[in-house]
Amino acid sequence: MLNMRKYLLFSIALGVTIPGYSFAKKSSLSNNSDALIKAYFHLKSIQNSISGLVSDNSGPISGVTVRVVETGVSVSTDTNGKYSINAAIGNTLRFTSIGYDPVDVKVVNVVTNVQLKVIDNSLDEVVVTALGIERNKKNLTYSVQTVTGDDLRASNQGNILNGLQGKIAGAQISSSGGSPGLPTEIILRGSSSLTGDNQPLMIVDGIRVNNSSSNGTVNRIADINPEDIEDISILKGAAAAALYGIDAASGAIVITTKKGKAGVMQIGGSYKAFVETMGRLPSQQTIYTTGTGGTYDESSGSSWGRKFRYDETIYNNVQRFFQTALTHDANLNINGGSEILQYYMSGGYRKAGSMVPNTSQDKISFLMKGTAKLSSKTSVTASANYVENDIQEGLGGASAGGWINSILTYPLRYDILEYQKPNGEPLYSYIESEDDGRNARISPMWGVMRNPRNNNVNRFIVNGSVDYKATDWLKLNYRLGQDWTSSKYRTVTTPGTPGSYFEGFVSESNSNSKFITSTFNATVQKKILDDFNLSLILGANSDYYESAGVGYQGEGFLVPDIFSPNVIERDGIILSESLSRRQRYAIYGDLSFSYKNLLTIGMTGRNDWTSTLSPQHRQFYSPSYSGSFTFSELISPEDWFGKLRVSYAKVGKDAPIYRTNTNLRQVATVGGGFVVDATGGNPNLRPERTSEFEIGTELGFWNRRLNIDFTYYKRESIDMIMTPRVPLPSGYVIMTFNAGSLWNRGIEASVNIIPVKNDNITWSSTLNAWKNTSKMTQFAGDIVRFPYTNAQLTVGKAASALDEHVLGISGTDYKRTEEGYVVVDANGYPVIDATEKTIGNREPEFNIGWLNKINYKGFNLSFMWDFRFGGDILNASRQRMMSTGTGYDVGQWRDKEFVFNGVVAQEDGSYVKNEKPVVLNYSFFANNYYQVGTNFVEKINWARVRYITLGYTLPSSLASKFGLNRLGLEFSAQNPFIITNYSGGDPEVNSAGPNAGGAGGASTMGVDNGAIPLPRAFSFGLNIGL
Amino acid sequence: MKRYIYTFSILLALLTISSCNKLDLNYNPVQPVTVPSNQRLPSIQANLAYSLYSQARFAAYHSYYVTSRTGNSNAQTDTWNYNNINRMGAWRWHYFDVGSNISGPAGMLLRASEDGDNNYTGVGKIMLALSFLSATDVFGDMPYEEAYNGTFNPKYDSQERIYQGVEILLDEGILELKNVSPLARSMNSSVDLIYGGDYNKWIALAEGIRARMKLHTANFKNGYQDVINAVNLALANFDDALFRYPSKSDLNFEKNLWGEARPNPEWQFADIRNDLVNSLPTDVFMKAMTVDATTNSYDPRLYKLTTPGVNRKYLGAKMSEGLRDVSLPSGTVYQDFANLYNGYWTADSSMYPYMVKEELYFIKAEALYHTNDKQGAYSAYKLGVETNLRRLGVEEGQIINFLGSNKLAQSIEKLTIADIMMQKWVALYLQAETWVDIRRYGYSNVAYPDLYYPRYALAEWGGRYIQRFVYDPQTEYVYNPKEIERLGAGSRDWVFKPLWWAENSTLKN
Repeated sequence: MLNMRKYLLFSIALGVTIPGYSFAKKSSLSNNSDALIKAYFHLKSIQNSISGLVSDNSGPISGVTVRVVETGVSVSTDTNGKYSINAAIGNTLRFTSIGYDPVDVKVVNVVTNVQLKVIDNSLDEVVVTALGIERNKKNLTYSVQTVTGDDLRASNQGNILNGLQGKIAGAQISSSGGSPGLPTEIILRGSSSLTGDNQPLMIVDGIRVNNSSSNGTVNRIADINPEDIEDISILKGAAAAALYGIDAASGAIVITTKKGKAGVMQIGGSYKAFVETMGRLPSQQTIYTTGTGGTYDESSGSSWGRKFRYDETIYNNVQRFFQTALTHDANLNINGGSEILQYYMSGGYRKAGSMVPNTSQDKISFLMKGTAKLSSKTSVTASANYVENDIQEGLGGASAGGWINSILTYPLRYDILEYQKPNGEPLYSYIESEDDGRNARISPMWGVMRNPRNNNVNRFIVNGSVDYKATDWLKLNYRLGQDWTSSKYRTVTTPGTPGSYFEGFVSESNSNSKFITSTFNATVQKKILDDFNLSLILGANSDYYESAGVGYQGEGFLVPDIFSPNVIERDGIILSESLSRRQRYAIYGDLSFSYKNLLTIGMTGRNDWTSTLSPQHRQFYSPSYSGSFTFSELISPEDWFGKLRVSYAKVGKDAPIYRTNTNLRQVATVGGGFVVDATGGNPNLRPERTSEFEIGTELGFWNRRLNIDFTYYKRESIDMIMTPRVPLPSGYVIMTFNAGSLWNRGIEASVNIIPVKNDNITWSSTLNAWKNTSKMTQFAGDIVRFPYTNAQLTVGKAASALDEHVLGISGTDYKRTEEGYVVVDANGYPVIDATEKTIGNREPEFNIGWLNKINYKGFNLSFMWDFRFGGDILNASRQRMMSTGTGYDVGQWRDKEFVFNGVVAQEDGSYVKNEKPVVLNYSFFANNYYQVGTNFVEKINWARVRYITLGYTLPSSLASKFGLNRLGLEFSAQNPFIITNYSGGDPEVNSAGPNAGGAGGASTMGVDNGAIPLPRAFSFGLNIGL
Repeated sequence: MKRYIYTFSILLALLTISSCNKLDLNYNPVQPVTVPSNQRLPSIQANLAYSLYSQARFAAYHSYYVTSRTGNSNAQTDTWNYNNINRMGAWRWHYFDVGSNISGPAGMLLRASEDGDNNYTGVGKIMLALSFLSATDVFGDMPYEEAYNGTFNPKYDSQERIYQGVEILLDEGILELKNVSPLARSMNSSVDLIYGGDYNKWIALAEGIRARMKLHTANFKNGYQDVINAVNLALANFDDALFRYPSKSDLNFEKNLWGEARPNPEWQFADIRNDLVNSLPTDVFMKAMTVDATTNSYDPRLYKLTTPGVNRKYLGAKMSEGLRDVSLPSGTVYQDFANLYNGYWTADSSMYPYMVKEELYFIKAEALYHTNDKQGAYSAYKLGVETNLRRLGVEEGQIINFLGSNKLAQSIEKLTIADIMMQKWVALYLQAETWVDIRRYGYSNVAYPDLYYPRYALAEWGGRYIQRFVYDPQTEYVYNPKEIERLGAGSRDWVFKPLWWAENSTLKN
């Protein structure tokens, strides 16, 4: 079986090139090569002025784009619907306009009049749903939102997920910061697990792809080149994703890549250059130098010393650290084909610099894709995507955030840029005479420049499918795909680096992981009695995952300038091998009935078997029921559109791999041997269940120039599977168990409006708004408050508490009276209340993404506003800066006299207002202020522009002077501007990323623990068409 | 057409067939589930050394051996505030790294009993007893009966109950070792890094642990005779229980955790890494080491326990104040103090003590002192001091000088409890057991004449002395809130609540 599978995959991969190529050759009389030849000749063939009138059933239409497919020349119709364009007889004219079906007309006459048909704007389009099934949006019974490739690219983000920000109602997307290799997390409709991955399933062209972010590096969907994307469907709810069963609990992102189109070969290319600078930074005090408790002390790394003297230089290290960097991004794609063979090929190269010194990204991607019609009934599609993504990362890993804490707290008396001697040896900023450097202080720049982390990925995604149309009502499809990722992650500590690895250290892990998806579908589509439509899909699916890795680590380089295990003493090298595997099978069915365009009801059922649970728990069934009622069909359907949809689904989720039994592992101690693995097994794990109810409506008015989509959902997660730290008396440190239940509920609204549409200007505006709230309803055992491993900071913790918001913040507050006044002690200082309680909710109260697109003649402008209202940030960066004395507020308040606003308890039990002035000295800050969580929780609002992109397409007459069919210019700014009340850097923070190491990373969205602020970037782009 | 249907049927059939038996792969093929006990014991012994260190890491400060250099800078050691820590490493080292590897669901005892290796059972139980005893002496009540049974909210047993359990473990361990099966797997010096498989020495250590434990409660249980019996049994065969590190190694995990390299091996937590580099010897330590202040003559062990500072001076800093201590000469820098590294117990290659022989002499001295056998107490006291001087490699002449100096009680009549306790304090330099002694005596100046209340302990504590550690905040407070509530361990001043044997102690003041 395995060999068979390999053979199939191999032939699919080759199928794109060799058979595809030979097809073209064999049929030298095929349209394909004909068209190719024609295309070249047409350039030189006789050009006529073709003119005509474009109208719809109510009269002439202005502003319709008329484009000669072969040459790319385009014009627009005038106010009277008239156009005139240079083209040859035999050419194809393509008429496009927002709100109308595009029409292709072959020129046979110099006068070519065309009638366009009004479309139901976005609603009549076909959308890709679960398992790649295309459905008419009109009859859809659940909420699916689509983002086009063009809208995605307008954001100019290298990571697809960042490009989706604000474009999906209900998607909380937060990146871990603005340095290469940092992951981005996407959560649809709230968190459903407290530890582990909450992210939706990622599907590319029907196969499951890797989106892990192991070692805290970038989430792997970022390997996919945005240039290749045709569109993205976001299946937000369980009903939409129900056919994915075991993976459906967090929704699904279904990506469709571009494919070849029959017609003349089109060649497109683009080049973009980005200049990246630092965005919004936290501020520091510039008054006090090193010391503790107010006394100058050179040996201290704290900045709690005396005031700087006038003759001492104060370095603005945070500014000095970051740099301005350049990024280049080039893409080329070719697309064309005949009726029987279509192809798409693309190549991309990105060389990205970063504002963080010594970090960069080099990425190469190739995609080849072809579809061949073998007979009138059979067609084959195959694609191969190769990506090489090499990232050099800066400080630290992603397990607990803290990338720039060392910069934020580095004393301002030292120049951060002084870190090495001219001969390359470390230049310590402070070292004691008896120390060899092990305990010395050095600029964080040393770590950035000399202790790099490298993540090298080679990835092949191959995908093949065969479609067979057995009869006009029965279609069969088989698809086999593999996503293979080879990843190397290496960290080096150069000898001389202060700390435990003073003699040098190298660690490398190499792994090959693969997802193999094999799917068979049979689709029956039948009309019964004219008005009834029946559709039935039956299918089976196999999903295999394997990751095999070998790693080593070693310390103490015998030759200090070679960073290799070859120069480490043999017994100092620790080797390890890992191998994880998972197999899942499923059978499923999808039955839907519709009556005219009025009523649709659907039902799906899926049964999953998984290897990750014990035999008695390993299979489960996921049903869904849904229906839609297009009530506008009853009352003048031509004037408007109105639909109501309701759905309910229940899906399951299995456990992480190998969590049902306990292993021993070899240990590095004197004497060696084996110890119990910190992660204990739990044979009693049950599948996690999620049930979701969704109700929504779609409304369209004014010829579909105004569309509204509104959804309410409630999702319950039962027997949630967690892998947290557990009480040590259990015998383990970490364990997977069914930990409790929670719900999320919310509303999503999406409004699309075209306020202006005339000859010259089209303005389209889309507003996405959403709100999610959640509640923990049950915990296993006696737990009432559960902090997440990766976000337990000194004063506050990202935590969930029973009967409270899931994404909460726990910590301490001051003691308060019943009326809420802070209680102040007799000495004038506020009293700390030791009880841990919920002191914040990291979920925004309301989100709005607002996308505008304006076309004016050759110009197009798009910009994205992003508004966030409410939701708290745990500002641990500020806490750390305060405790080391570099925080801005230390400069403002230290040693000042202050009267706390609070009340003092009297002996008779009454309270009087505090009027006692106290001095805010070091002891106050250390023993009071930064031990209180509420001092570091901030409620955040922001208004920010995610991007502005201005494009200009040169008139074709001008472009042709350069020998081009199309020449476009683009200016763009990413993250140019933000207004926020946040006291730190950029308020988009997520300290541990989606998938951080250790005991599984719960969402750390809203936790600022040394986050690298998002950069501000400006770009210039050039794109051409041949 | 037929051909395609045929092809699809085959594919579908293949898919179905391949699904059989392929689901049983949820086991890790590259990691073992069980190994023979001789492959478990060495790492348990290494972990026990780590575990004892993790208790001493903070207890050494609470016992006034050392204090932070800058003063008022470390929440736990200077202000006695344990409210803002995330993890208590000592909890994990006992329950998981030592305890679970011995008697957890995948522990050594299981395989040892399956294989009939009752020598490993015996040694395992004695080590578990030591681990439980030292852990309960810093934490107080904790899970014993319900530990390792799979529950996430086990009952916390009283310390009294745990002491009973420790004694049972010792008895059972001794019994196994007295009846080692001839078929049991061999235990040589590459497996047993402490005694090289000498069961009599293990039995003696078990008696030593018993003596240590009984001493904690003897004062209020009238148990000194039991202490004396156990200590005599122990001394008959006793050899120091020391965990040895290689004399030279570049590897983090082959170094003593008190060492200058400040090792930070796998799964070590930041707050467990030693901070002697930022610490100074206290004035209490320097007073204990000073034989004659006017002539600057010191206990010869001063030069063995520490190494000279750059300025070759021997100042002592006040607890919690460090260089902030205003009684220090003006312009004092850290180089005016002894260097804490590379002493007998604080080098990368130092041995880590489970229990040393001089402790037994001092246990005996204290027990005899309280039973009014001053003669016996005096000779045990002298033996304790001498054993320690010899261990530290003090020259013979200096030993004779020091033994005759006025730093030691020179007659039976002059012997005070302070003489015994302060010499034990020196002999058990940096060991957590000292903190037990200090708490038993309620930080009293009768036993410890030079102790005082630290200046930077928070006013909030109301002048109370620190008595215990907090439980691991990251797990116990989360999973077991009812037990935490019952014990009152959630309050800010939990660490000031005396343990059972300190509460009942009659030795305070």
